[in-house]
Amino acid sequence: MNSREEKIKIITEEFTENEEEAAVGSRKKNPKGQRQPRKKRSSAAGPQEMVSEKSHLGSQQEPGQEEPETGLLSVPARRGPHSLPPIPAASRTGFAEFSMRERMREKLQAARSKAESALLQEIPTPRPRRLRSPKERELETGFGTEPDKEVQSIQQKDDVQSYSRAKFRASVQKIKSQPQAPPGFPSAEEAYNFFTFNFDPEPEESEEKPKGKARGGTSQEEEEGKEEEPPVQGASKMDEEELLSGKDAEDFLLGLDHVADDFVAIRPADYESVHVWLQKEKEILFIPSRLTVPTYKKLPENVQPRFLEDEGLYIGARPEVAPTNQNIMENRLLVQEPERRWFGDDGRILALPSPLRPFPSRLPSTREPSTKAELETLYTKAVKYVHSSKHMIGSGDPPGSFQLDIDISGLIFTHHPCFSREHVLGSKLAQLYDQYLARQQRNKAKFLTDKLQALRNAVQTSLNPETPQQSLDTNQKTINEYKSEIRQTRKLRDAEQEKDRNLLKTIIKVWKEMKSLREFQRFTNTPLKLVLRKEKVDQKADEEAYEAEIQTEIKELLEEHTEEYEEKMEEYRASYQQWKAWKKAQRAKKKKKKEAAEEHPAEETEEPPPGEDPVKPVPPEPTDPGELERRVRERAAHCRRRPGEPMLLPELSLAGSVTPNEQCPRVEVLRREDVRRRWVYLKVLFNNKEVSRTVSRQLSADFQVHFGQIFNLQIFNWPESLTLQVYETIGHSSTTLLAEVFLPIPETTVVTGRAPMEEVEFSSNQHVTLDHEGVGSGVPFSFEADGSNQLTLMTSGKVSHSVAWALGENGIPLVPPLSQQNIGFRSALKRADAISSIGTSGLTDMKKLAKWAAESKLDPNDPNNAPLMQLISVATSGESYVPEFFRLEQLQQEFNFVSDEELSRSKRFRLLCLRSQEVPEFRNYKQVPVYDREIMEKIFQDYEKRLRDRNVIETKDHIDTHRAIVAKYLQQVRESVINRFLLAKHHFLLTDLVVEEEVPNISILGLSLFKLAEQKRPLRPRRKGRKKVTAQNLSDGDIKLLVNIVRAYDIPVRKPPASKFQQPSRSSRAFSEKRVASPSAHSPAHSPDHALSQVLVRPFVEVSFQRTICHTTTAEGPNPSWNEELDLPFRAPNGDYSSASLQSVKDDVFINIFDEVLYDVSEDDRERGSGIHTRIERHWLGCVKIPFSTIYFQARIDGTFKIDIPPVLLGYSKERNMILERGFDSVRSLSEGSYITLFITIEPQLVPGESVREKFESQEDEKLLQATEKFQAECALKFLNRQCLTTVIDMSGKTVFVTRYLKPLNPPKELLNAYPNNPQATAALVARYVSLIPFLPDTVSFAGICDLWSTSDQFLDLLAGDEEEHAVLLCNYFLFLGKKAWLVMGNAIPEGPTAYVLTWEQNHYLIWNPCSGHFYGQFDTFCPLKSVGCLIGPDNIWFNIQQYDSPLRINFDVTKPKLWKSFFSRSLPYPGLSSVQPEELIYQRTDKAAAAELQDRIEKILKEKIMDWRPRHLTRWNRYCTSTLRHFLPLLERSQGEDIEDDHRAELLKQLGDYRFSGFPLHMPYSEVKPLIEAVYSTGVHNIDVPNVEFALAVYIHPYPKNVLSVWIYVASLIRNR
Amino acid sequence: MAAASPSVFLLMVNGQVESAQFPEYDDLYCKYCFVYGQDWAPTAGLEEGISQITSKSQDVRRVLVWNFPIDVTFKSTNPYGWPQIVLSVYGPDVFGNDVVRGYGAVHVPFSPGRHKRTIPMFVPESTSKLQKFTSWFMGRRPEYTDPKVVAQGEGREASKDAVSSVYSLPRPMPTDPV
Repeated sequence: MNSREEKIKIITEEFTENEEEAAVGSRKKNPKGQRQPRKKRSSAAGPQEMVSEKSHLGSQQEPGQEEPETGLLSVPARRGPHSLPPIPAASRTGFAEFSMRERMREKLQAARSKAESALLQEIPTPRPRRLRSPKERELETGFGTEPDKEVQSIQQKDDVQSYSRAKFRASVQKIKSQPQAPPGFPSAEEAYNFFTFNFDPEPEESEEKPKGKARGGTSQEEEEGKEEEPPVQGASKMDEEELLSGKDAEDFLLGLDHVADDFVAIRPADYESVHVWLQKEKEILFIPSRLTVPTYKKLPENVQPRFLEDEGLYIGARPEVAPTNQNIMENRLLVQEPERRWFGDDGRILALPSPLRPFPSRLPSTREPSTKAELETLYTKAVKYVHSSKHMIGSGDPPGSFQLDIDISGLIFTHHPCFSREHVLGSKLAQLYDQYLARQQRNKAKFLTDKLQALRNAVQTSLNPETPQQSLDTNQKTINEYKSEIRQTRKLRDAEQEKDRNLLKTIIKVWKEMKSLREFQRFTNTPLKLVLRKEKVDQKADEEAYEAEIQTEIKELLEEHTEEYEEKMEEYRASYQQWKAWKKAQRAKKKKKKEAAEEHPAEETEEPPPGEDPVKPVPPEPTDPGELERRVRERAAHCRRRPGEPMLLPELSLAGSVTPNEQCPRVEVLRREDVRRRWVYLKVLFNNKEVSRTVSRQLSADFQVHFGQIFNLQIFNWPESLTLQVYETIGHSSTTLLAEVFLPIPETTVVTGRAPMEEVEFSSNQHVTLDHEGVGSGVPFSFEADGSNQLTLMTSGKVSHSVAWALGENGIPLVPPLSQQNIGFRSALKRADAISSIGTSGLTDMKKLAKWAAESKLDPNDPNNAPLMQLISVATSGESYVPEFFRLEQLQQEFNFVSDEELSRSKRFRLLCLRSQEVPEFRNYKQVPVYDREIMEKIFQDYEKRLRDRNVIETKDHIDTHRAIVAKYLQQVRESVINRFLLAKHHFLLTDLVVEEEVPNISILGLSLFKLAEQKRPLRPRRKGRKKVTAQNLSDGDIKLLVNIVRAYDIPVRKPPASKFQQPSRSSRAFSEKRVASPSAHSPAHSPDHALSQVLVRPFVEVSFQRTICHTTTAEGPNPSWNEELDLPFRAPNGDYSSASLQSVKDDVFINIFDEVLYDVSEDDRERGSGIHTRIERHWLGCVKIPFSTIYFQARIDGTFKIDIPPVLLGYSKERNMILERGFDSVRSLSEGSYITLFITIEPQLVPGESVREKFESQEDEKLLQATEKFQAECALKFLNRQCLTTVIDMSGKTVFVTRYLKPLNPPKELLNAYPNNPQATAALVARYVSLIPFLPDTVSFAGICDLWSTSDQFLDLLAGDEEEHAVLLCNYFLFLGKKAWLVMGNAIPEGPTAYVLTWEQNHYLIWNPCSGHFYGQFDTFCPLKSVGCLIGPDNIWFNIQQYDSPLRINFDVTKPKLWKSFFSRSLPYPGLSSVQPEELIYQRTDKAAAAELQDRIEKILKEKIMDWRPRHLTRWNRYCTSTLRHFLPLLERSQGEDIEDDHRAELLKQLGDYRFSGFPLHMPYSEVKPLIEAVYSTGVHNIDVPNVEFALAVYIHPYPKNVLSVWIYVASLIRNR
Repeated sequence: MAAASPSVFLLMVNGQVESAQFPEYDDLYCKYCFVYGQDWAPTAGLEEGISQITSKSQDVRRVLVWNFPIDVTFKSTNPYGWPQIVLSVYGPDVFGNDVVRGYGAVHVPFSPGRHKRTIPMFVPESTSKLQKFTSWFMGRRPEYTDPKVVAQGEGREASKDAVSSVYSLPRPMPTDPV
């Protein structure tokens, strides 16, 4: 079946589909249906359109094409006019139905259709016959596959209809053979015929194509047809499309298609073939060609490629790159970066000659055996951690500890008293052999021979006349130089050779002696064995070489001698001449003398002394070549191997066997036993002090001792001397000092691992005579039987050792600084320098070498010079050296496209770096700009400022520098811990990633099963848990803070305005009827006030949170009940509702209680009748502050809180009587105050974030740590919510067991002396002292998680800490005072999880709040501690396993194991942990003058601030009042803010009687000025805008020891009464 | 480009989640979302979507075809943090609970043009056999807290066992306008 037939089949099958496939069928028919209306139209539109239609039909099969206006239902429109009978039996009935729907509409168009039908009838005829174009075929086959599949599936389904299909197929065949159907015959054949020609290509396509184009691409398939045309036509196509749409509009007008609008057009998805896509992509994308780029394109114009190889320069081999890749790259570079010079002179891409680095990135492992040793795991003993005090203030640099490693590997005696004669010879032999080996290694003779040879060659070449490069003079000079050098070298060579030969001879001689000795004594003591290996030589060649050597030598000597002779002759001649001249002169003189003697006999004396007579020079003898030769030969024979004589190579081995004891004579056995009894050890003396000693080792039979010990000397100063002392012990008798060995102190560059083993010789002068075979020491002995040829040997030996500086953790040698060295000069190379690592220990002048290399114009690329060049580059750069480590990014340098400076200058790079380091300022920086220029400089300003400030302590904000330092220090600690957290944040657990149901354990399962069986109690109300909301899908406004203010107790009540006539209120308050009495006490003069202030107080509550303020209605009376719920919206910072962000919300909820006071301001009494003119004033009474984080973590806060009320509220007083009336017990009265009942929660409930887990390192015992984990797990299992604390993190970030913090510590003496007889008062005072240390949360990022615990001395040094530190200090003080005290870990309100202190007084427990200094009885309902998790004592931890955890309901008796689970028990006894606390606390007295100064400064600052806050009003200061207040503050301090009010008030009244007063003293510990300012601001005193208001402000600072300052601020406003 | 508005480059992604092969499961739907670095910001289109539920095709291929379009445009200043498309496939289990059937992620192709990607899908394993049973029984399989973790390297070592099972075929097609 060809594809065409197949298609036919498909269509027929579609017709045979059943009902639900009708849709499919109809969709398939769409193309056909689409055609029909066109046909109809075509009659109207003309033949042209017809043609275009046909072009459609050609590719109609494609599923993705259809015209939008195609109406499916227009199919029958054609059929109607044809009046086709219902479809043949085999076809679908649904089809007929389908067409029926359209009948009405069709009839309307009948007339037109008729005309068309006539046309239609004519057209089909030629089509089937037409040959299809190849393109057509292609399209069909292209789609052939899919229908094929469909066919298959359909076939599977519709087997039933196979018969009819077969029949149908038969009819198809018929039609094929007989295409022309009889007109008007409505049969299946005709219907089929209709379908078939659908798929025919239009016959006139080729001719009509232009026309079709002119008409425009009506659809996508048309476009596709055009695709094969050159894309140039694209533009015109667009226009045509527009034209076409006009046409479409026309079609519309014809009314043929509007029917389609009424129905849903079903059309396949748009499809563009891959070819189109490729075409389009080609337009957009640039794909570089793979063809080779001609060279001229790559080079600048008119430049010929230049090949350096051709010019003789060395060019390294390029790395292998596939030519295709290279071509692509070149093409890309040419197009994309034409301006950059990527191509070299030869027209190729610039490339490194070799990708290999000049030096290895890994240590060369030359020492094969030692590599294994390096890989071995070494056990090093744990080092005790020295408390790092790098952050601690005050302490300077710790004295550096340096380390010297002394490795003593062993000891060899070269002579020992116990040496037998054989040993003596043996050691001699060994020494000689060592010497021989050393000489052999150096091979100086060979070296000198080579040198000689080279020099001779040089002379030869320079003598060669063909190299006239230099002037003759210089040439001659060099030759002479060479010659003299030859002479020198020859002499040296001869000497060396002679030495070699002599050595060999001696060795052999000694060996012979030894052999004879062994034979003589008939036993052997040493395993030494000398083997002489003969190496055969080619006699002839050897002889020739020998002869040639001699000949050259003779020749040279001869030459030399002739030269010498000539020189001498010259000399001789000169002297002879001289002599002759002298002779002549003499003769002449004589002659003259003779004459003169006759004339002047006195002149005789002038005659030179006869000794000075020049001797007549002897002419030098010419050299006799024969004599010369004889001499040369003699010398050669003496010092050189004879020709043909085999080369002798001695080999000393220990292969010989030692005669066993039994076969030895008695003396020898004695000697051996004596040796065995000897032990040797070494002492190490540092600066003449013994620092360590080696173990004592037995002397082995070969007089060697192996120690193999390394001593690490921790030193502080540069060593002066290093000495080893060798000690020997014989048996059990005393030890004798054999000798002292002085070791050299190593260079600073010698570090461990690099130091070679060295041998140091030692000898002693002791005299030992032994009664056995041993030769003794210092005693003459002889080898000869006759005792001649005596020999005296001293005990001597060698110690092999190495001394080196140890390397620190980071590879820095632990060498004392140079300044400490008293040895003259030291090289400035502190670091291990490059050259010594290469192997040359001496410092060669690398600069000179480099200079030389530059001058001699070495080709740096030549591989032959590579090692040299590398050495030079290494030496001159100074930075890079052969690393001792392996680098992964070994090609880093090659990939550095810009220099480091440029990179660091790049702002963008910096920004990216900082962001990836998670620097707080940039952590969430989004959209780092692309270009440097877009990055504002100011981005970095804050960051840089912070960096700068890190080291600069700003004293501006802080009054005294100590606090500033502390603040800085804390900041640093915080930063370091934050960094740690950032790391921890990147560490995930499974639960962080995967949500997984927990396996229900038996109890839960059982419980749930039990619940199933439980009786249903529909009426019983059940509490429904609130739905918890995960934070991420929240937005602003979703979260609300609900604050329900229930009631308050004991609000201070107003005092009647002061009046001169009134008696002091104290008396009135003494009565219980004060409440009734006080209003009546008003004087008539104040009747207006009186009228308004009928009630004692009108309090209302204002809640402020995140700058939103809500307040309740005003209630009345000192015990108001509001019961109001306030809604406060919550906004997370930056709209980020993730739990991490919520945890870090630092906002507080402020609950302020005010009194609403109405004042009548009517000026005129006349007005009073007609109107009321009052002013409302609010007077601050107190506040409660609850941090948001507490609410967040606790989910809800419910309870009664103590209102923070200033100790003295002017104008208000507490109604003490009420308390008395209520009859609270005495304990209750201890904690009196005002209280407010609150309920706070967040709506909806948020899931608190997980705390950061991190395991900190610890020095605790591993077992203890395991026990803590187990304990905590057990506790958590029982009571999940109870706090169980076993380990805490100390200031250096280490885990410490918590009981180590508790230890009796002494409080300041003054406090103890204050109340010597009243322990209760002392305790209170101590608590007050502790509470005066400023509170500063050390939680790093969020509340309650990961506290750092500082020890008490750190705490006192820092003068800042949170609950734990306060509690620990207080507990320690109480322990010192002899109280039973525990640390209570539990939940309090409002702090949340916190630490309190519990003490056992005589008969009851007291709970102390360490931060406020208040204490509560166990049964105090207002105790802020709401639950108790565990108790911590100095030696144990007890976890609360009682049913309840409220202190009211639990028993604090920790001895009951049923109530308290103790950490240390019988199974795990207390191991006696040492405390981390200091032995004793030392307190300095605080400087009073400084405190006074601080007081003045604070007062000044506060006054300025108040004036600043009142920019519109005049601020007057009432000095009189201020001084009065100042006078009061010390009283307040003395009485700790209690019971002073009455006196105070009275005093004030007396002095300021005609003022109306509003003000109060504030008390707080001093940390900084800022909190003080805040506190003053929060009182709102400055808000009064009454015109004639005056202010008073006084500050008092009371100094306590250790710089603990108690600050009192009295702030008041005064209004003059009239 | 003007200095006032920082220069960015755009990445247009359009394509579709075509189909998936999950031999064991039927009636699945898929979600997609994009994970991208800090320097990226979506400018147009949908960053995440949830597809229709699809049934297996009845032919031999047994594919789940969604043909779910993706069309999103990003702007960025930095290729670091190139967007990844994260797919997660869900479907009902025996008891009718919606459970996750697979997670997978792939980077949006770096080169413009048409690409077809086949993403292996996996689900986290239960930590123990017992847990596996209970999770099957309760219809609460282990799943990632956030599907985006599959596109991140961080913390993946913590997730104990991931079974690679099946795959899905999206076809993102980015174009990079000049």
